[in-house]
Amino acid sequence: MLWLKRLHLRIRSVVQRAALERDLDQELRFHLAEQRAEYVSRGMTDSEAELAARRAFGNAAVLAEQCRDQRRTGWLDDLASDARFAIRTLTRSPGFTWAAVATLALGIGANIAFFSAAYGVLFRPLPYPEPDRLVEVDLGFGGVGPTTALRDLSGLVEYAGYQPEVEATAQLGGEAVRLQAANVTWNLAKVLGVKPVLGRWFKAAEESAGQHRVAVVSNRMWRERFGADPQVLSRRILLNGEPYEIVGVMPASFGFPAHDTEAWTPIRIDPLNRGYMWGNLNLWPIGRLKPSVTLMSGEAELRGVVERIRPMFPWRMPDVWGRSSRLMHHSDALVKDSRPKLLALAAASMLLLVIACGNVANLLLTHWLRRDREFALREALGAGRGRLVRQVVTENAILASLGGIAGAAAGWILINALPALLGEVPRLQDIAIAPRVVLLAGVAVITTFAILSVVPLIRSRLLHGRVDSSGRDNVLRQSTRLSLALAGLQLAMATALLIGAGLMGRTLWQLANVDSGIRTSKVTTGTVSVGPSRCGTSDRCWAFLQDLNATLAATPGVRSVNWSNGIPLTRQTSAMSVDIEDHPKEPGAPAFVLWHATATPGYFSTLGIPLRSGRFFSDGDTRASMPVAIISESTAKRFWPNETPIGKTIRPVSGKVGRIIVGVVSDVKHYALDGFPSWIDGVQYVPFEQALPARSSNVTQLSVFVEAAETQVSALQGAIRRRFPDVVVSDLKSIEKVRDDSVSNRRSMAWLLSFLAALGLLLGVVGVHGVLTQRAAQRTREIGIRMALGASAGDIAATVLREAFLVAIAGSAVGVIVAAGLSRFLRALLFGIAESDVVSYIAGPAILILTALLAAAAPAYRASSVDPARTLRSE
Amino acid sequence: MARPSDLIQGTLDLLILKTISQEPVHGWAIAKRIQQASNDVLLVQQGSLYPALHRLEQQGWIQSEIRETASGRVAKFYSLTRDGKKQMAKELEQWERLSTAISLVVNPA
Repeated sequence: MLWLKRLHLRIRSVVQRAALERDLDQELRFHLAEQRAEYVSRGMTDSEAELAARRAFGNAAVLAEQCRDQRRTGWLDDLASDARFAIRTLTRSPGFTWAAVATLALGIGANIAFFSAAYGVLFRPLPYPEPDRLVEVDLGFGGVGPTTALRDLSGLVEYAGYQPEVEATAQLGGEAVRLQAANVTWNLAKVLGVKPVLGRWFKAAEESAGQHRVAVVSNRMWRERFGADPQVLSRRILLNGEPYEIVGVMPASFGFPAHDTEAWTPIRIDPLNRGYMWGNLNLWPIGRLKPSVTLMSGEAELRGVVERIRPMFPWRMPDVWGRSSRLMHHSDALVKDSRPKLLALAAASMLLLVIACGNVANLLLTHWLRRDREFALREALGAGRGRLVRQVVTENAILASLGGIAGAAAGWILINALPALLGEVPRLQDIAIAPRVVLLAGVAVITTFAILSVVPLIRSRLLHGRVDSSGRDNVLRQSTRLSLALAGLQLAMATALLIGAGLMGRTLWQLANVDSGIRTSKVTTGTVSVGPSRCGTSDRCWAFLQDLNATLAATPGVRSVNWSNGIPLTRQTSAMSVDIEDHPKEPGAPAFVLWHATATPGYFSTLGIPLRSGRFFSDGDTRASMPVAIISESTAKRFWPNETPIGKTIRPVSGKVGRIIVGVVSDVKHYALDGFPSWIDGVQYVPFEQALPARSSNVTQLSVFVEAAETQVSALQGAIRRRFPDVVVSDLKSIEKVRDDSVSNRRSMAWLLSFLAALGLLLGVVGVHGVLTQRAAQRTREIGIRMALGASAGDIAATVLREAFLVAIAGSAVGVIVAAGLSRFLRALLFGIAESDVVSYIAGPAILILTALLAAAAPAYRASSVDPARTLRSE
Repeated sequence: MARPSDLIQGTLDLLILKTISQEPVHGWAIAKRIQQASNDVLLVQQGSLYPALHRLEQQGWIQSEIRETASGRVAKFYSLTRDGKKQMAKELEQWERLSTAISLVVNPA
């Protein structure tokens, strides 16, 4: 291990410098003494010997230096002294240092955070073996399809099914808790390629109804609720009132379909029931391509399988059903909705970094200009050009490192805040500082460093021969022209950010002005999940709800309680294929699809949905009475433009009995503020009681609407808990909050972009202000002469303002082009405005130009108040 | 008399390694021993000797130790390390190859 020993020797050379120096000194003195002793022994006198020995020895200092050189640590000494000097210089101008480091930290921090989010969400491999073989099915319409039939008929792809985002009520001890559970096919673990860390996954037989019930729990649940007890496998858990035996614990990294899924149960199908395949149409398919199967061949097979499934439906399916089925990579499908958002933010953070670098480059330019004299002096005292350049590089390296470290810290903070800032983005929870992020930070720092070093190098070229040239003005002019160009670049990027923020802001504004159709502010909504123990039959379920109604109505301030199958504006689809009277369809043609909402009699008046004609539901519309429906105004206009829809019939494609339309109500944006999915043809309401399934073995999700003078969420929750300890109502919030939350995705985007734009604008304007101030200061003499020759203060101010105006115009022009290039990332998030929204494209540059002019006001005033007499005398 | 600059490049290292291969020797004595052993032909100047010693030490081939000489003065004694022994063997072999080759050229048989 010779190299190790050498390393040790090098380190000793650095660390034990004093001891080595002492040894060296002693060694050389010993030599001298021996030499003198030799001369004495040859008969010289002491003083003669001393002199002779010294003569023979030569220059001891040079020899010592030669010996020192052998340690090869001189560069380190130089570096250390450069660094010491640099730190001294930086601390001597703290304003400059802070400004530069903070600016870099902002730019680098934002980049680290948004790029690692984009990488972590969009490109990081999924935590399954061979994740690129996982596929999802798009049947070309809104529904999810007969997943178990797909599974049974496919040979090239193994399909599994899952019911996403099912809330369950779990009881472990006394208290009921709400958690995310997933109903899945038994082969899901096999398709994903995961195994439980404890116990086992489901068996195929456990999908059959009648088997005793089993569940697999998440690692988190195992640790937090069972204290990581290995004996958990024999324990039972009550899910929605039914006992389940825990048979397995999943690894901590497993979070499917959602990162917070806590329990998995097998779907239950009745093999004796011929139509079982259609009982689980709400299972989402996920598949794994078998070895050597490609996406293309899998898709070809899928289309064939869909052709075979279509005639198996108990009712006639449209001929085009499933014709355009596609397979997508699961990794793409998972993040489809987040992709534009994350890419737009990454692009925006890059623009911010450009602004930050431009700003620091300008700061440096000014900084180095101020140090002209120092450099001239050092050059005159004999500092080589190489030594000066090394000094510049060392100082910038330290500055860039400080910026990088501060940026990494800022990025780390931002990454941790991202889940709260970005809203619903899959996979965002487990983003950490990964090696790639460190690499990214390194690249960012090196890039910055390179940019920072280029500036003084350009300067040193510009300054070549400066020492003898008497006129400094020309050189300075050139470098401030460079500053002006950099400021223009910053303004361009700031313009692009402003336009982006403007587009999102306008989208929010448009959404805020959408009429949801709901006019009330006193309603609180919530979701109740009830299992078969309470809602197994419609009679039991109805009785339970009456009981729950009474409990809620007894809470102080509550005026009415109503029920539905969903909460408006939550993007949860509920649709039904129907035949509509007067609109016959050819057999095999696609049926009409109506939005399907259930409602108790008071639903409409509670939510402030006015009646247009006919009647609301009444307490007389029971399971025993005639099936009735209410449709929305636009549905009525579409299907019966010239006559009344009252008395017409709507019949579900899968049923025999039609419903008589008894009323028309005004439109409600049930799906989202930006409208219904394109495949929805209209909206029908059905009496809540009539829509309760006669028999149910699954979990029923019900939405409650409580009208109260004051919303007291905790009072409602407490009342329910006291009466029904096993029932938890989740997501209790006001209807206004529901509307607010429905645009949270776009709002977070608008805020983040506005924040980045504000930072960019601030940095850009500070940059312009600095450059103009400096240019005005340099031109004091010129201004003095012009004023002496008759220019008014206004003329001088106009010169400065014109410069600012021109830079801002040029910057805006470039910024508009950049924004036009980048706004396609935002396309999917916009609402009510075009991607080339004129208002945003005019307002962004206008704000920028105005702010730039404001920033120019101070230097303009200072320039115009130059006293020509004093200026000219001082020259 | 040969001056140090006349020493063939690299041979000073070999001379030093060889001189201290038996026992620890200090700088002054190394110069003296080379001088005596070569019958006053090779005179190593301190300007070459000490940098060479420090270089060899940094290479890890020799190590030093401060102790008293017989006359009671404190001096820095150099000795070979294990790596130094290997290095000496290597340089010796190289030197022999070189000198044989030179003598083949100079005194053709």
